[in-house]
Amino acid sequence: MDQDAAIAAPADVFASAPPSLWRRIEPTALGLLGIAVPILLWELVPHVLTLKAGTKLFFAPPSTVAATLWTMFASGSVWAPLGASATGFAVGLGLAIVVALPLGVVIGRSETLNALLDPFVTAFNATPRLVFLPLLVLWFGLGLWSKVVIVFFGALFPLLINTYEGVRNADRLLVNVVRSFGANELDVARLVVVPNALPYIIAGLRLAIGRAVLGVVVSEFFGSSSGLGVVMVQAASQYHVDVVFAGIVIFTALSLAMTGLVKLLERRLARWRPQRPGGE
Amino acid sequence: MTDEALPRAPFFRQNRKALLGALAVALFLAAWQAVFLIIPFNPLFITTPGLMAKALVELAASGELSADLAVSAVPFLYGFGAAIIVGVPLGVVMGWRARWSYTLDPLLTALYASPLVALAPLVVIFLGVGVAGKAIIIFLLSVFPFVFNAAAGVRVVDPLLINVVRGMGGNERDLYLKVLFPSVMPYVVAGARIAIGRALIGVLVGEFFAASEGIGYAIARFGDMFALDRMFACILVITVLAVLFTEGIRWAERTAFPWRVRD
Repeated sequence: MDQDAAIAAPADVFASAPPSLWRRIEPTALGLLGIAVPILLWELVPHVLTLKAGTKLFFAPPSTVAATLWTMFASGSVWAPLGASATGFAVGLGLAIVVALPLGVVIGRSETLNALLDPFVTAFNATPRLVFLPLLVLWFGLGLWSKVVIVFFGALFPLLINTYEGVRNADRLLVNVVRSFGANELDVARLVVVPNALPYIIAGLRLAIGRAVLGVVVSEFFGSSSGLGVVMVQAASQYHVDVVFAGIVIFTALSLAMTGLVKLLERRLARWRPQRPGGE
Repeated sequence: MTDEALPRAPFFRQNRKALLGALAVALFLAAWQAVFLIIPFNPLFITTPGLMAKALVELAASGELSADLAVSAVPFLYGFGAAIIVGVPLGVVMGWRARWSYTLDPLLTALYASPLVALAPLVVIFLGVGVAGKAIIIFLLSVFPFVFNAAAGVRVVDPLLINVVRGMGGNERDLYLKVLFPSVMPYVVAGARIAIGRALIGVLVGEFFAASEGIGYAIARFGDMFALDRMFACILVITVLAVLFTEGIRWAERTAFPWRVRD
């Protein structure tokens, strides 16, 4: 909902003269400044102030973090854990998509099934999936599958709820037209309901990616034997703070890149739509 | 209002959704209890609803449960409170002042996208396993929904209201107190609904990492002890609390801001 609100801002209603160069680059320039200044401060603080030994440990300056990142990629040591994390992420998210879309369509079309499943959806969606991690570790061990299940449950609900909303918002008139021409429930889903729900599903996918990344991180922190999160926890316990920050940078970059891809997809789909649906 | 003029629908029709939901939960629990009549029951692997209920009563009666919850509640309140106190004013200023927004928005968006949970091991090293460390983890996770929602709330404030206050000679302070803060309240409450889930994750992360008491620690400890009945009981408690919090906020939203019903 915040995204929708954000685009309603009256940007340049009163701009009559063409905006000056500074006016045009101001948002970007200030944004870069807002990121650069904290990084610079962080870099400089250990040089300017003498910190206590313990505090110094915490201040791995950005240059060190960058150097560590470079070494991790150059030596190739990052690929094996990153691969393990990516596998958990991909399998969990893939399963979530495979389960959430049909289920979302079905509960969107059937009041009874929706009523039956609603308590479970509400409860699981509100509960942090992390509570199940100790249990999952007991069941699946420290391997891939506890991670997959956490990612799966994290990503499932945004997708499920958005698909449901999209299906519910299908135009009754279109549904009735297709029905009058002799379509069965499968045709209705294929011709009207799913295309209509697509933008909602994409918006749900955007949320799901964030939750899936979070799921990978937490499950690797507490219940996994391989992955980037495992590397980070081990580094933290040996006070290699730079490695922890390098891991955060990698996860953030991946998360932003994937969200960006989904946004592109969203824009592409929105092209033929007259109005932008609120899919949050 | 019009409902009362209509002839009353039968009880089942009126409460169809709630009844079907309750039925589904009851069936689920019954099936869970009954399935072990067919397959062998291994208490080290799974529990039954009956044993879970018994464990829950025991934990509640011995006072263990309330002690753990009380321990977890302290950092939760500090962290969540700080998130409101910092997040809402920051968001209001960002929504109102374009330059603040230009400057801070990219940084905060990147931080929001980054798995800040990953800072937890560092926070624990730095601050130890006490209240402060957990409160900071909770704060970091729950502050962003407040910032972004408050900012979004300000951006949709009716310009007419602003002009009226200005026209009546109101200054910047009046604008903040009389227009901006009241109008962002619904957005802040909606943000709180998102933030509370993240704050609960913060509690669990903090306590899984390093703690000697608290509800998250209890879950991890019962897991290590293979005491699955007590572990399930604690998971159930967290689930119930999470649903109460989220649905409570949703109810507050509907009651306090009925003009903004959106889901």
